Amino acid sequence: MKKISSVMVFALTMLLFVSVVGAQTIELTYWTHTDDNRTMIENRYIEEFEKMYPNVKIKRVVNEASKMGDLILTAFSANNAPDLFNLPIEQEYGYMIHQRLAPVNYAAVGYKDAQELIDNYQEGTFDPISMDGVIYGMPLELTNWSIYINDRVFRDAGLDPDKDWPRTWEEMADISEKLTLRDGEVVLRRGFDFRYPYYLVSVLPMVEQLGGKLISDDGKTAIVNEAAWTQVLEFMRDWGPHGRNLGSPTYPAPRKIWNKDNNDMGMCLSGYYQQGRLKIDNPEFHASNEWRVVPFPVFENAVNDVRASYYGHYLVVNAQTPKNKQEWAWKFIAYMLDNPWEYLETVQILQPRKDLLEDQAFMELPYMDVFMSDMSKSHAVFLHENGYQFERFIGDAVEGVMLAGEPVDRALKTLKTRIQEVLDDVY
Amino acid sequence: MSTFKAKYLTLDKAVQALIWLFLIASCVLVLIPLAFMFTASTMPAIDILKLPYPWISDHFHWQNFWNAIRGPEGTFEFLRNTVNSLVVAISVSFFTVMLSSITGYGLAKFEFKGRNLVFMLIMATMMIPFETIMIPLYMVVTGMGMQDSYVGLIVPFVANAFGIFLMRQFLIPFPNEVLDAARIDGASEPRIFTQVVLPNAGPAIATLAIISFRAQWDNLLWPLLIVQSENMKTIPLYITKFMAETHSDEGIMMAVAVLASLPMFILFFTLSKYFVNTEGLHSSTKG
Amino acid sequence: MRKRGFSMEQKKARWGWIFVTPALILFSIFSFYPIFTAFYTSFYNKNLLSLRPPRYIGWANYQYLFTSQEFRESVINTAVFTAGTFVPLVVFSLILAAFIMSINKFQRFFQMAFYAPAVLSSVVAALIWLLIFDPRGIANQGLNTMLGTSGVNYHWLSKAGMLRLSTIIVYFWKYIGYFTIVFVSGIGSIPYTLHEAALIDGTNRWQNFWYITFPLLKPTTLLVSVMALIQCLKTFSTQYLFSSSGAPTRPINVITLNIYNTAIKDYRIGRASAMSILLFLVMFLFTWLQLKVSKTEEVTYM
Repeated sequence: MKKISSVMVFALTMLLFVSVVGAQTIELTYWTHTDDNRTMIENRYIEEFEKMYPNVKIKRVVNEASKMGDLILTAFSANNAPDLFNLPIEQEYGYMIHQRLAPVNYAAVGYKDAQELIDNYQEGTFDPISMDGVIYGMPLELTNWSIYINDRVFRDAGLDPDKDWPRTWEEMADISEKLTLRDGEVVLRRGFDFRYPYYLVSVLPMVEQLGGKLISDDGKTAIVNEAAWTQVLEFMRDWGPHGRNLGSPTYPAPRKIWNKDNNDMGMCLSGYYQQGRLKIDNPEFHASNEWRVVPFPVFENAVNDVRASYYGHYLVVNAQTPKNKQEWAWKFIAYMLDNPWEYLETVQILQPRKDLLEDQAFMELPYMDVFMSDMSKSHAVFLHENGYQFERFIGDAVEGVMLAGEPVDRALKTLKTRIQEVLDDVY
Repeated sequence: MSTFKAKYLTLDKAVQALIWLFLIASCVLVLIPLAFMFTASTMPAIDILKLPYPWISDHFHWQNFWNAIRGPEGTFEFLRNTVNSLVVAISVSFFTVMLSSITGYGLAKFEFKGRNLVFMLIMATMMIPFETIMIPLYMVVTGMGMQDSYVGLIVPFVANAFGIFLMRQFLIPFPNEVLDAARIDGASEPRIFTQVVLPNAGPAIATLAIISFRAQWDNLLWPLLIVQSENMKTIPLYITKFMAETHSDEGIMMAVAVLASLPMFILFFTLSKYFVNTEGLHSSTKG
Repeated sequence: MRKRGFSMEQKKARWGWIFVTPALILFSIFSFYPIFTAFYTSFYNKNLLSLRPPRYIGWANYQYLFTSQEFRESVINTAVFTAGTFVPLVVFSLILAAFIMSINKFQRFFQMAFYAPAVLSSVVAALIWLLIFDPRGIANQGLNTMLGTSGVNYHWLSKAGMLRLSTIIVYFWKYIGYFTIVFVSGIGSIPYTLHEAALIDGTNRWQNFWYITFPLLKPTTLLVSVMALIQCLKTFSTQYLFSSSGAPTRPINVITLNIYNTAIKDYRIGRASAMSILLFLVMFLFTWLQLKVSKTEEVTYM
């Protein structure tokens, strides 16, 4: 008993100590995902910022991207969340809906009001992170995906990359067929393969090209236009090992191995940042000029010209952080984000501030025109409070028809039931 | 470990040969994945998924090991993370052994009202899947301010139902006469425990220490939730970094796997006697 | 004299409590309180992210689970996994142990060899097996050589049945050595004289094993099965790591994985808690049944 009480006394003294010291220095915790180059420049920004404001200390915590969602959620549920953080917008949206995010402090980030902030960025930048006219985050990066092509693989298969690149999904499948090398049923070289877990970003737009929707505009009905969904699921089924055997989620992710130029991946789906990674992973291939970027394909019978959705990370501030700390958090965010060129050149991530986009040098960046043209034809990734859950359901359907041999109609029916159930909230 | 040799068995040659064949075949099957790990760790990534698998690489691709230690960010956190894992695993097994033997002793050798209830309650915790209590447990631990610290990694695992069960079973057959003799000599109960019971519980203690060390070396989900800073991360977290999409290279991954398993293999070969010791589990069947 | 004995007993009882109290305190904080919280939460509609107070909904979470297809699937997945792992584990470890005890050389070597995989952590095991089960990996190569086929992809990580089998193989591989060792020392603890007596009575080897060794192994078998069963019902990491590496989730969506996803991905902590409580009860029931049916006094397990 003695021990316990002495521990308690110790803990209380510590608490007191921390709160007294806390009055003098502002300590901000910033959680973000791993990205070596970004870590480098942001650590420098932190150093500079702390030098400018010696009363502020910033603790930057890095975690692997795929684990960030789980970690931040657990931290929030235990009221132990960081002061500022970033997550993919699909996930941040739920935090905004549940009022866990603090509105942007316009003065602290250096703008008169919301309108001035909006005017300074590309149109639509703040749409995903606004609710009832209030903005809740500042864009750390906006990304959309186009198709990277390895010219050498094309030529190896007797194709001319200048002419034979795929414009439609049907062509994509046919060209991939030509590029694929197999040993029996085992694929040794793939022509193209999808980015499997990210169905909202790349597979849902394919449905939308055909006029389908995940949920109706009034938000009450799941799966609009079943024919469009059926066509996409059939396309995926034919793509998989039980169809034309062109690829599958169980092979290594295409964008990883594409960089290595090991003659095992013809095309991959990725953002502008892929070029930066390529330069590090394989400088010879990067400099060879034997790769190119072409637009995201559309179906032959498409009714909407929609390309892969753009998604992003916004820097946001925890609503439960005390007001004065919130102000410092926004000041720090503004300080970091005042360097769009450095983020673009060092980290290859795009912060769509107008002065950057209107810079002559910007559009001259390799293949930036392809990405910007695709982006102008796309919209922000599907956002919903349960978006994360829907993505898992779509994944189950796609993987079911591709891998587990589930019939398309049954997979679609299950998908519809599951999403409808969430919409109806069966409590 | 029994030294019982099957002298009474004089199986005929054919049956004996079949038994050997079966044992050797299963042994090879069980060891293949390990052989794969070791051989793949010495190859460049491109060879590992080549058809057919080469098994023996032309030259030792040492870069895998260098990159594994260097880490994806070039920060050499591997060493620090190994130290963390060792600190956590050793502390947990030490405290688990202490607490389990005290509790096991109390349950095995003392009659008190509610003893069976206490034992039942403790055993019931064995049936709680960790995922079930993950979030409430996280709230408790962060509420006490123990996140991102050794304390937070160690304390929640010290009370271990299996350990208590093991020690209790081991101590039940312990002769009461010895304890009573010590009592008559005027030894206090804590003294009897430390000087009479503990020295005689060696095999069970070793087995339990190894079991809890192994469990902590393996623990992924809990450190993932409560560790925040790079220099508090443990080895399983270090491994998951290499599974992240931007860094994965099969050769480096296998090198990480080998390095991460080394301490366990060293323990295994030096202390194999205790690894293959399950005496504690059987004492009750004998006694 | 009588009085002294009484006080001695009281004293002993007090010391008994003193010895178990530290553990009880730790269990209360880190096990009983969280499980109680889970039980309490299972009656609420609680969103992990929401700041609004959770809404009391009685048994609705449980009612929902009995109609939910996903939950039904995960119950089936867990049942398939448990049956598919538990039975072979117990049978094969018993066979291996009997064989190891019947040879007179290399006993220790075989025990160590079978135990070796258990030394690896689950993350490392998953890493290794993901590469082995890759379509270009040695699982396909090996099976193709063995079956004399060429270039066939056996879809280890994709077809529902194969994927389930793959998770079972990983688990079986990891734990076979441990249970073999438990059986080996169980067989070793059977007094030699019993066999001798039987042999004098003229029984053969097989009868000897079946009528002497096997019945005497009952307590060990019981212990092994209870442990294996609990382990199998709690399985999480293999399924989690496989599904996050591209394998379809639905065939291996076991209850624990479902709990994790429902809580962490869908924020529905009330529903996840209800699942946890059900899993807990099922595990409790199995353990209790197993002990009841076998009616053995030797192992005072519960």
